[in-house]
Formats: sequence, structure tokens, C-alpha cells
Amino acid sequence: MEKLNDLQYLRLSKWKKFLYKLCMFFVGIPVFFKNIGIKIGRFFKNIVLRIKDLFVDLFLTFKNGDYKTRVSYLIFGFGNITRGQVFRGLFFFLFEVLFIFYMIFWGGGWLSKLGTLGTQGPTTEWVDVGGIDVEKTVYHDDSFKILLYGILTIFFIIAFIYTWRINIKQNKIAQEILATGKKLKSGKDDIHSLIDDQFHKTLLALPITGIIIFTVLPIFFMIIIAFTNYDKTHNGISNNLFSWVGFENFNQLVNVGSSSNFSATFGEILGWTLMWAFFATFTNYFLGMLVAIMINKKGIKMKKVWRTILVLTIAIPQFVSLLYVSKLFATDGIVNGILIKLKWIEQPIRFWEDKWLARLMVILINIWIGIPYLMLIATGILMNIPQDLYESARIDGANAWQQYMKITLPYMLFVTGPYLLTSFIGNINNFNVIYLLTTGGPNNPNSSTAGGSAGYTDLLITWLFKITTNDSNYKIAAVIGIMVFVVVAVISLIVYNIMPSTKNEEDFS
Amino acid sequence: MNELKNNDEFLNEEITPEEEQALKQLQEKREEKRHMGLKAKSTISNTIIYIILGIISVIWLIPFVFIVLQSFRVENTWMVGYVLPKQWGFDNYIRLFKETSFPRWFLNTFIMGLIVSVVQTVMVLSMSYTLSRLRFKGRKFLMNFMLVLGMFPGFLTMIVLYRILSDMHLIGANAIWGCILVYVASSGMGYYISKGFFDTIPRSLDEAARIDGASRLQIFYKIIMPLAKPIVIYTILTAFMAPWGDFVFARYISNFTSSGMNVAAGLYAWLEKDMINQMYTTFCAGGVIVSIPITILFLCLQKYYVEGVTGGAVKG
Amino acid sequence: MKKRILSLFIALFVAVVLVGCASKTTTEAQLDLTGTYKVKVWVADAITALTQTQIDAFNASEEATSRGIKVEATIEAVGEGDAASKMTSDVINGADIFGFAQDQLARLVEAKGVSQLGNAAAKFVNDNNDGGAAAAATLGGQLYAYPMTSDNGYFMYYDKSVITDATHLTSLEQLIADCEAASKMFSFELEGSGWYNAAFFFGAGCVSSFTFEKNGAIATVNDTYNSDKGVIAMKGMQKLLTSTCYNNSSNAAASFDASVGSAIVVSGTWDSNAAQSALGDNFGVAPLPSFTVDGKTYHLGSFTGNKLMGVRPQQDPKKAAVLNLLAQYLTGQTCQEQRYKENGWGPSNLEAQKLPEIANDPVLSAFNAQNEYGVPQGQYPGQWWDLTKVLATSAKNAKSDADIQTALQSYRSTLDSLVGVVPPSWDNGPWGVIGKFGEYNWNEDVLMTKKESTEGFVFESAPIEFAEGDQFKCRLGENWDSSVGNGKDNFVVETAGKYIVRLTVTDANAKTATITLVPVE
Repeated sequence: MEKLNDLQYLRLSKWKKFLYKLCMFFVGIPVFFKNIGIKIGRFFKNIVLRIKDLFVDLFLTFKNGDYKTRVSYLIFGFGNITRGQVFRGLFFFLFEVLFIFYMIFWGGGWLSKLGTLGTQGPTTEWVDVGGIDVEKTVYHDDSFKILLYGILTIFFIIAFIYTWRINIKQNKIAQEILATGKKLKSGKDDIHSLIDDQFHKTLLALPITGIIIFTVLPIFFMIIIAFTNYDKTHNGISNNLFSWVGFENFNQLVNVGSSSNFSATFGEILGWTLMWAFFATFTNYFLGMLVAIMINKKGIKMKKVWRTILVLTIAIPQFVSLLYVSKLFATDGIVNGILIKLKWIEQPIRFWEDKWLARLMVILINIWIGIPYLMLIATGILMNIPQDLYESARIDGANAWQQYMKITLPYMLFVTGPYLLTSFIGNINNFNVIYLLTTGGPNNPNSSTAGGSAGYTDLLITWLFKITTNDSNYKIAAVIGIMVFVVVAVISLIVYNIMPSTKNEEDFS
Repeated sequence: MNELKNNDEFLNEEITPEEEQALKQLQEKREEKRHMGLKAKSTISNTIIYIILGIISVIWLIPFVFIVLQSFRVENTWMVGYVLPKQWGFDNYIRLFKETSFPRWFLNTFIMGLIVSVVQTVMVLSMSYTLSRLRFKGRKFLMNFMLVLGMFPGFLTMIVLYRILSDMHLIGANAIWGCILVYVASSGMGYYISKGFFDTIPRSLDEAARIDGASRLQIFYKIIMPLAKPIVIYTILTAFMAPWGDFVFARYISNFTSSGMNVAAGLYAWLEKDMINQMYTTFCAGGVIVSIPITILFLCLQKYYVEGVTGGAVKG
Repeated sequence: MKKRILSLFIALFVAVVLVGCASKTTTEAQLDLTGTYKVKVWVADAITALTQTQIDAFNASEEATSRGIKVEATIEAVGEGDAASKMTSDVINGADIFGFAQDQLARLVEAKGVSQLGNAAAKFVNDNNDGGAAAAATLGGQLYAYPMTSDNGYFMYYDKSVITDATHLTSLEQLIADCEAASKMFSFELEGSGWYNAAFFFGAGCVSSFTFEKNGAIATVNDTYNSDKGVIAMKGMQKLLTSTCYNNSSNAAASFDASVGSAIVVSGTWDSNAAQSALGDNFGVAPLPSFTVDGKTYHLGSFTGNKLMGVRPQQDPKKAAVLNLLAQYLTGQTCQEQRYKENGWGPSNLEAQKLPEIANDPVLSAFNAQNEYGVPQGQYPGQWWDLTKVLATSAKNAKSDADIQTALQSYRSTLDSLVGVVPPSWDNGPWGVIGKFGEYNWNEDVLMTKKESTEGFVFESAPIEFAEGDQFKCRLGENWDSSVGNGKDNFVVETAGKYIVRLTVTDANAKTATITLVPVE
């Protein structure tokens, strides 16, 4: 495919222009991946360079430093304190003491066991108590805890090294400032800067700590689990300890020939998950917009009432409403009952028993769930569209459809691009709708695996749920979790790079 | 356009006053007709829209109304083949409050909602404000990192969170505190919408204030916060609503201890095979009760919700 | 070095303890049980209130007062299915005493979420309960739980106004016809659970049973679902599944009252009150019917099972002893009778079963009548239920016998992979010799063993006495999908004598092999 210059492009017919664009898109994909490759390469190169710089800097600082700086290599904050920045210095020192204290009493123990994840499982013995012989159980190592706190300790160590590095850097800077004869910042200045120049640190401290402990740590842990044999036969404490197995779990999933059938099932479910996410996102998007346009049309009265009616569905918890809706459409449910009474059908329609009908139904019912949200968003955006655009379009004689295609839709697409992406990802992980409506059914005889049998409407996320809760197969769940992550990441990367509105963050400011 | 041309042509000819009068009348009539036509057209299209909206409303309301009707059904089995109860009564509601732990669950959830909505709002606002208005080293990295984190299927971490909370003794009877902790702690992740909102507030405001010597803290609460009312209310509203519908995590953390459940976990347990026949109508009553505070809040704050979510979704 | 010796010592010590455990030698520790015990109890919602009064009664009983035991129980409503899954995910924070359905036992034992019963407790269980119940609580030869009920099975509730002719009750085909004629549904949760669709397989004469190791791992499988009988079962099932009256549900109350109401619901004793109130005077209950395939009639089978009560492994032996006493009380005669009276749960206790009202209960009689065709529900691995569940869906979609056979074969191969059985393959066998020689006449395989060889994969039979003109072939895995003879024909023995049949697989992928006869003295 040859690239055309602008003039050549303009001379193409409408249809050919479209074709050209399409071709360019596909031609662009390999380039896109090539660019990513280059970016990744550069990224690693940068890292290596920076590490090199870091060591050089550490060395030079030590070489050029006075005794205060040099002692600070061992005792945190020594330089700060001796140079009069007591507040800062104590902070560093306290951190070091706490860290050492933690490592001696807890961290060291966890770390030393991390290699094996524990050696001794539970033991039992028979004891005669008051004429009754009972089993006495003693729990010893707990692989789960060892792994969890081991990882936490590693986090602490990284934080420690980072603090050490800052501590040294501060010495270097302080030394330089003093050398030029300027004054150092006092504790008061430090505190003041926390609400001014360094305000971001104050604001971020709490949220980031929370995220690290309750999001990063668990996710990291689950990724690590993919390399262990944590499952129902090795639950880590009450039956057998679990241990490292390398890439064995990945082999099980990737090996097409393996009898456990995971890879075929994964492929099938992934296909449907993407299909579902696509339809769920776009049906909601366009229909929600349509409803918003209708409600907001000039001359339509009772706007508030219409909105409120739609919003009511948000208020009833989904596990109440969706379960009810699911039963409405049951083979012996009310919908079938009414249709039979009306003589429209003779036999009940089996909404939930046919692969494609069930899939259609979940998408339709998802519209019922999703439109109110979309309607609210679209309402706000529609009100933001400058009305003079429509005025001039009307003067040019554009009809409603043309106005929609030429003004409303492009505007909406432009401003809600990121929202579309997040809701696409949200739909890939949409647990509630599928779980409450079908629990994954109808059965799929082809993807009954030795563990976690998946149905035709199962998404990856509900399949994961089944694997963890029904089969306690955490290791495989972790592997699938990583796969889901990869899929979502690739999609978002591509979309992000194609979308116009993500690039200029400051456009609206 | 046509008429105008015609008139131009007339101008070149001589016109008697009578003719002028007649012409005027003719034009007026034509204008009126055109207007009526437009009006008729818009009446027709409006009627169609009313019909469509009517149908949509019915579809949207049916399950809602049906569930409400179920909650007044005295004869209590699971699904029945009719919609209108044979025997009406408040029995389910009385039972809900007198014989079950529902009041406890309701209180639990209410406490959760209150605390979570306050703390989460603080967290989300500081996170999104920082990422939107302040420029510092590592900002881009932080945003990308959280974007990537969000792509991992979150509920897999449920078992880990369970163990962490279990070590903190925040499961079972204390589960609501465990839930609060987890909701709040991970709330920073949901900064997108409100960051998008802050992005739409012109930066020139900050700069002007900076020149006047205001510190960043002062800018935050004196200039930005008053403008951010919609997004604050939006965040409060969504944070408050979350605990009412969480039947997976809260249930898992509660470890079946009834006193530590939120309404969702408690009600969901009634769907068990051996309970559903006796409890289903009561379950519906519970659902209706839960929807009351949320509906009221929503109706009152709808305006802000719309402003907040649009401001945010625009920039995502 | 010191550390290593220490850990070796610990390992030795553990080994000794473990061995000791296996032979149940007990450490003597005459302990006084006096004290107050906080006990966490999980039982089904229906009996939470009752259980509280029963525990109060236990505190007042001779057994408890004489030993100075006081139990403070917190009782939570946890369904019998949920209990096991929650126990296995976190044993340590689980309930001390919990009710569960017997099919969860293997899973619980595997996770060590239930403690083994001592000799005294085992005696109590065996003396007081029916044999099936005691067997249900046994796994790998060890008793793990106290039976609570003997009523976990299914039979048929029906609407007398639709099924007017009682003789139809014995024929599945006639029942289907009645339902279709009346535009009523026939509810049978075949697609929802292997527990229900086993009715057809057991009815056709299939078996599927597992034995387990002491740690809860699968030891052996005896499964004949993948057989001609399995095909018959699936064909019988297909009749109902493809009928317009089929409804995949087992909730009696909901199905009878539904918009498109059911005339028949296959369900268990737990639904009896609901079914009676839904049907009123038209309430009928009967054992399952028979179905006819290819002119032969088979009575539907069923599972019969129990609800059990388990005790969580305890670190404090005193508490363990108290929990055992409490569990014995709660599963004793009095408590079982109370549960029958309040909830209609059929007792497993022998004395309670003799009670006239229980013996004459119409629902329990239907259950007992169906029991004649029932298979005591031993232990199944969790995945078995998933695997058998989809068999009904396969039966529904099957267009021909071949489809059914494919489904059964895939069931079998997944089952094998679950148990760790390697499927037959050209390079690994198992190969067998089948043909007309000696006492054999194409009826049985003489298995061959794999030999070490450099020429490829070599399999040899034991020496066989051949007559001139005898014919045979070698086949893989006792079926005719893969076989080798003289090319495609049978291998013909030219001179009589005693030979070893040697099969050399020259290329396993291309599936080529040659047969040679090696003469023996």
C-alpha cells in the first residue's frame, strides 16, 4: 500500500477515501507494535543508564562528602541533624530505627522463609480427654502468611533503600548549598512547603499508602501465586503448605494438547467476553444517547419525570432487580406465561437455555441496566454542546438526522472517548450482570474442564469466580487473571494510541 | 428563499395599493401555513417521542413495580405465576424488622455508607486534585501505574484482602470495619471522573491566585473547592451507594457472621435453596427499603450528579 | 549445621507423631472438662432457632452438668452447600460445628476442615444410625462426621388434577404426554446438576463411584457412564429434555406456582411443606417413574444421601471433646425427632426412624420407595458434579447416537485426566491381542506389556498357543478405533506353535506398526 499525498487523497472518491483510511489503519498496526517495541527497548536502556548514574553519584557523593555526609551513609539523618535540620533528620533516623526493629523482629523471619514458603505443615495427635478420644491439631507454618508478609517486607526494603538514597541526596544538596554560603531550609519551612510547593505529597500520602497496601500488595501477591501450587490440596495452612512451581501453571493453560482443556475454554470465553464487552458498551452508548436526546428535545415536557423513572432502576440493588428479571424470563416465568395467555406462542420460549438467545438476553437486559447511567452522562454533555452549531446547521437546511451525524455524534465521541474505553474495560469485568442473570449458563458441554466448568455466557471474570469459589484453584485463577490483564492492557494500549481526545490533557483548560 | 426572489421581481413592476394589500395578505397567510406545518410536524415528532418514552418508562418500571408488589404479597413462596398479590399486607415489612437481623444490617450499611462517603471523598478529591492541578515529578508515572493496576481483575485480590483483614481481626463480626477500610483505602484508584472534572476548571484561576501569593492549600480550599461542588456531591453519592449493593466482597469478609453483614450480604443469603421459599417476599421488601434512601438522595442530588459525571466523563 | 540437625530431629518427631496418629494410639491426658466454651455453629436457616433451644437443652442435660460444661453458642444461618466452601477457604476462622451435605465431605477432608472421629464417637455413630448414614460420613475408611438426617434424595411431587390416572405415575412417557396435553411443565433439574441426572444413568444400570485416600485424594474410580447403558440413559433423558414440557428446576413451590405451572416436580423432602401448600388437595407424591428405550423399560434411579454435622479440627483438645459431646447430642435421637417435627427432616437415627408418625409419613414413604432404586451417595470429587451436569445438555443437543457417544467419551477422558489416568496412545498402549485362538473368540483382549527397545515402541504378549489358521489383531485401549493386523486384515497364523506376539510401533504419529510372531520353546 502506497502512501498518498494530500492532493491524491482529496481526489479519491468518498468510498475510496474510506478504503484508504481502513488500509492505513491496518498498515499502521505493525508500525504501532514496532513503536511499542522501540519504546520498551528505550525504557530498559534508560533504566540501565539511570542505575549506572545512581552508583556513580553515590560514589562521588561519598568521595566528595564531609564526615557528616559519610556518617549519613550508615546513620540516616545524621547530616541533617548536624547541619541544623533537626526535624528532617529525626524523621529519617526514626524511619531507620523502625525499619531495623521491624526486620529483626518480623521481617527477617518472613524473608528467610520466603524461599521455601514454610517447611512444616499441620500435625495431629490423638488425645484422651475425659474418656473421649479426640484429634488435636497444631498448625505450624502458614505459606500464605509467609508469602504475604515476605512480599510486604520486600516492599519495606525497597522503601528503605529509596529513603537511604534520598537521605544521601539531601546531604549532597545541603553540602552544596552550604558551600555557596546560603542558608538551609528550617523545619518550619519544611512544614510550610508541605502545604505549598510540596502540597502534592501531603495530599497523596494517605491515598497512595492505601493503594499500596490494599491494591498493589494484593495484586502483586496474586501475580506471584501464579508461580506456586496454591490450590485446594495445598491451602497453605490446614492441609498442605504450598511451594514454588515455576511456570508449571502457565504450561497447563497454554498447552493446547493438555487434557485439562483449559486453553480451549479460555479461548472460547475470551471470544465471548470481547463480544459481550463490545455490544454491551456500544448498545448502551448509542441507545442511552438516543434516550437523552429524546428527553432533552425542545418541547418535550416532564423531563424530570422521565429521568426519574429511569433513575429508579439504579436505586434498587442489582442483586434484587437482576435476579427478579432473570426469573421473569425463566422457562416457566411470567413473560412466557403472558405470551402463552395472549396466544402469541404455544410453547414457552427457553430464554436461558439456548446459547445465542441467552447471550442476546444478557445484552438486552444490560441495556436496561446501563441506559439510565448513560442517559445522565449524555444529558449533561448534550447541554454543553454550543447551541449555535445547531442553529447554523438548521439554517443550512440540515434535518435532525444530519444534525445528529454531523454535530451530536462527533462531539459526543470526541469528549467521551476515554469514557468509552473505561466502560469497555468495565464490561470485560462486568461480574454482576452475568452472574446474577445466568450464573454463566447455559452449560457448554465443550468447555467442561477438570475444574471450573464454564457456560456459554460466562465471562472471564465469572469463570474466575467459579474457579476460585467452587474449585479453590487459586493458582490457575492467578494465571487467568494475568491473561485477562494482558488482554485488557493490549486493547487499551491500542485504543489509547488511536483516540484523539486522550492525547491533549490540557485541551479544555 | 423562493418568496424573497419573487418579491424582488415584483419590485421592478408597478403595484397598486389594492394589489399591495392583497399581496400582503397572501404572504401572511402563506407564512401562517408554513408555521402551522412546522408546528404540526413538531407535534407529530413529539407525539412519537412521547409514545417511545412512554414505552421505555413502562419497560423500566415493570420490574421495579413488580418487586414492590412482591414485597406486599402475604402468601410467601418464591416466584408465583401472577403479579398482583392474592393477599395484600405489610407482613413482610413487619417480619423484616421484627424477626430478622435486617435492622442491624441496615444500620451497618448506613454507617458504612456515611463513613465511606466522607473519607472516600476526601481521598478521591485529594488524589484527583493533585493529579489534575499540580505538576510534580512522577505524576505521569503514577497515573499510568494506576491505569495499569485497574486492568487487573480486582476481585481476585479478595482472598488476599480477606487474609490481611483477618490478621487485623476485621472479619466476621467486625466485617463492616474491614469493608470500610478496604473501600476507603483503594478509593484513590477511582480518581478518573473527578480528575476530569478538575481539568475543566480553567488553570488561569490558580495562576492568578498564585500571583496574589496564595499557597496551594489555600487555592485548594478557597478557589477550587467552591467550584467543585458537583463533583464533591457526585463522589459522595457514588461512595454512599456502593456498600448497599456489594454482595460479593462484603459477604466474603463477613464470614457468615450475621452481625457483621451489610444489607446486600444479609439479603443475598436468603436466596439459598432452603430459604428462598420462605424468605423471597421478605427479600423483596428488603430490596425496596434499601432503594428508598438511595432514591431520595438521587432525586435530590440528581442535578449535581449529572454535572459531576459529565464534567468528569468528558475528560475521563 | 546445628540447625540442620535440629530440623532433621523435628522431621523425625513429626513422622513419629504422624505414624502414631494413623494407628490412633492416644496420649493419656485425663483432663477436666469444666468450663465455658464459646462455640460457633453453622446450620441451615430453617433450624437456627431450633438449634439454639437444643444447645440450651444440652447445657441443662446430665452429660453437660455432670462435667461442668457450659456452651455459649453463636449460631449463624449457613446453607449446607455454602458451609463447606467457606470452611475450605478458611478453616481457622470457620465454624466449630457445622451442618453440611454429604457430597461435600471429600472436599472438607481434603482441606482438613473437618476432624476425624475418635473411637468413642465412631461407636456412637455406628450404634445409633442406619448403615447408609454411617457410610456417608466415612471416607478412606475413617469416620469424619455425625449423621443428621437420612432424607437427602429425590422423588416426585405431582399435581393430582393433571395426573389423574395413577397408573401413569410409573411411566415417564405417559407423564410427559399428560403434561404436554395439559400445557403444564415437568420440572426436573437435569441440566442443573449431576445429582439429578444421575437418576437416568443409575436407572439404566450405569455406575460411577470413587474411593478416596485418607487425605481426601481420589484413589480409584469405577465408572461405566461411557457404555451402551450410558447411551440408553442419555436417550431416556433426551425424551424429557426435548419435550416441550421440560423445565430445568427443582424448586417445588416456585414451579407449581409459576406462570407456566408445573404438574410434576422432582425434588426432595425439604420441599414437602412448600409443595403441599402450593397444591393443597391436589398434592401427590410418588417415587420416580420408569422410562423405555428400544422396547426395554428401566426404573429411574436416584441418589440417597444424608446431611452430616462436622467438627472443625481443634487446637485445644478440651474444646474438641466438648464439641464432640455437643455434636453427639445434636445428632441424637431427641434432636433428630425435633427436627422432623419442626421441619420434616427425616432422621438417620434408628430409634427415631421407628417412630410411627415418621414411619408412616407419606413423603418419607415416597422417599423410601424410591430408595429401592437409589444408590447410596458415597463420595464424589467436586468436579464430577460439573462433568455430569453437562451430560444432560449434551443429551438435549444430540442429534444421533454418535453424538451421545462422543459426549460420553469426552466425559470419560476428562474424568480420566482428573484422576490422572493417561489416555491410550500408540506409543504407550495399552495394547492387547484379540482374536480367535485357544479359548478366545474375539471376546477379550490379552494385554501386552511395553518393552525397552531401540527400534521404536515394542509391546509383547505373554506366550500364546496358536493353531494353524488362527486369526487375531492387536488393538489399542480395548476398542476398535486403533488396531493393527496384517495391514488392515487379520493376522493369520501359518504354522501352529507357541508364540509371543510382538508389536513394533514404528511411528507413533503416523500410526504405523508391524506384528511379528516370536516362537517360544
